[in-house]
Amino acid sequence: MKSPVISLSHINFGPSHTPILDDVSLELEEGHFMGIVGPNGAGKSTILSMVTGRLQPDSGHIDLFGECLKRFNRYRLLKNIGYLHQLHDYAPNLPLKVRDIVAMGLHDYAKPLWQWFTSTSHQHADIIQALQYVEMDHLINRDFRQLSGGQQQRVRLARALVRKPKLLLLDEPAAALDSKQQQKLYALLRQLCDTQGVAIMMVEHDIAAITGHVDSVACLNRSIHHHAMKGEQIPEDVWHQMYGQHMHVIAHDTSCIGCHHD
Amino acid sequence: MSLPMIRVVLGAIMIDFLQQFFASPVMQDALPPALFIAIVASSMSVMILAHRLSFLTVGISHASLAGLGLAIAFSLPLLPTATAFCVGIALLLAALPKQRGISEDTGTGLLFAGSMALGIVLISQVSRNQVDLFGLLFGNILTVTTQEWHWLLFIGCIILLAFITMARAWWSIAFDAITAAAGGLPVSLLRLLLYGTVGLSVVMCVKLAGIVLTTGLMVLPATCAWLWGRSLISLWLLSMSFAIIGTFIGLLFSYNYDWPSGATIVLTLCIMFIMSWGTAWLTQRNK
Repeated sequence: MKSPVISLSHINFGPSHTPILDDVSLELEEGHFMGIVGPNGAGKSTILSMVTGRLQPDSGHIDLFGECLKRFNRYRLLKNIGYLHQLHDYAPNLPLKVRDIVAMGLHDYAKPLWQWFTSTSHQHADIIQALQYVEMDHLINRDFRQLSGGQQQRVRLARALVRKPKLLLLDEPAAALDSKQQQKLYALLRQLCDTQGVAIMMVEHDIAAITGHVDSVACLNRSIHHHAMKGEQIPEDVWHQMYGQHMHVIAHDTSCIGCHHD
Repeated sequence: MSLPMIRVVLGAIMIDFLQQFFASPVMQDALPPALFIAIVASSMSVMILAHRLSFLTVGISHASLAGLGLAIAFSLPLLPTATAFCVGIALLLAALPKQRGISEDTGTGLLFAGSMALGIVLISQVSRNQVDLFGLLFGNILTVTTQEWHWLLFIGCIILLAFITMARAWWSIAFDAITAAAGGLPVSLLRLLLYGTVGLSVVMCVKLAGIVLTTGLMVLPATCAWLWGRSLISLWLLSMSFAIIGTFIGLLFSYNYDWPSGATIVLTLCIMFIMSWGTAWLTQRNK
């Protein structure tokens, strides 16, 4: 059996009396599309930050692609990850074209300037393809600052896709998108999972919008309360309870890991 | 006199003046280091604007006074001591803000005042004619010695090499540090190197423009370019062109009217910025 793309086991983070994450365990297989839902402050973004190595858990263990995530192998492992973080405090006034921003997602973007003039053709093709995924290829030479919020978000998504990642970590990717673009986005992500075996971990608020596309939904509020697989019926009355202060088990499944059984 | 005649005469005067300018031994000595400093400073200028480090350059340039004070008090070589001190301060500032929640500009303000005070106390202890205080504060490129020129060349080449190697990494960090880090760039290390390199370039500029005017030289070239450039490379080339032209014109005026060279160069760059800004405004309005 192949090792899972992400394996979190017994992650704790934050002070012990008010933990941000409390004994969280999750696994993500290749080609699996997981949605993480939960109220504000549930620790959804914290999990993604930990997988990218920006935060270290106080205790627990993170495996990426079957290797333990450590300081020394972090930069190598992260090459296979596409990450889209939340917007806030994000307003750099740099003159950049759309193509330059997507290029920043390429593995070899940060190479010295003297290599800049060589071997750009295959990169150019990759950039165009990534922009085609999000239907932004017609604005490839536009100044990024002139784009609307939703367009900027799609360009950032293209930057995460251009490196052909094996794992996508998306923090509210649909935040600035209209509902039509949202559905297109989820369909695209579904397609990447199915055709290229990309594993996706996506934080999203709107459960209703994603249930049709994802393979599983993990309900998080400091700890994983439930990990519902596709096809499972989630009772109507649980929707509003989901975003309450305390945990609510929605349904139960044998594959549910770290689930608190009431 | 007919118009062509006037042109010929004016042209002759101009050529005569330029010949004098290039023939003067002071300018022969000052022009290469001044232009070299302009190239180095304008390259880093792009990164200083992208990372919003202009206050850092103010802090480091003033801190160099303490470095020079230490060098004079303990009779160490001037420029190397100042260089080491400035880079040290820059690295300290890069490391400081993460500790104990001191914001970066508070830290800069703190170190800036502290090291300036230290420098003043140290320098006040030596006799007046030992220190060219006016030169320290406002620049003295006209009195550059061969030894200093070699030192400037040495650190200038280090800066340019660092810039060419890391420009794209720095650029992507300036745009989005979180994604850069998540994509596998060693962001903290690169930022440390950026601060160190900015420290080095400040020392070079202090020689040309003095402690007080260094920030002008470090910020203005890229500010002019910012209105026109559309990518890292075009910004860099534009910034260098602005700096080279500004330095050259500044030195011409400085030579002709006997104005202080550093101040004249910064003034020229300011005027170039106003012209550049005005042109950008007009062209955008007419669109």
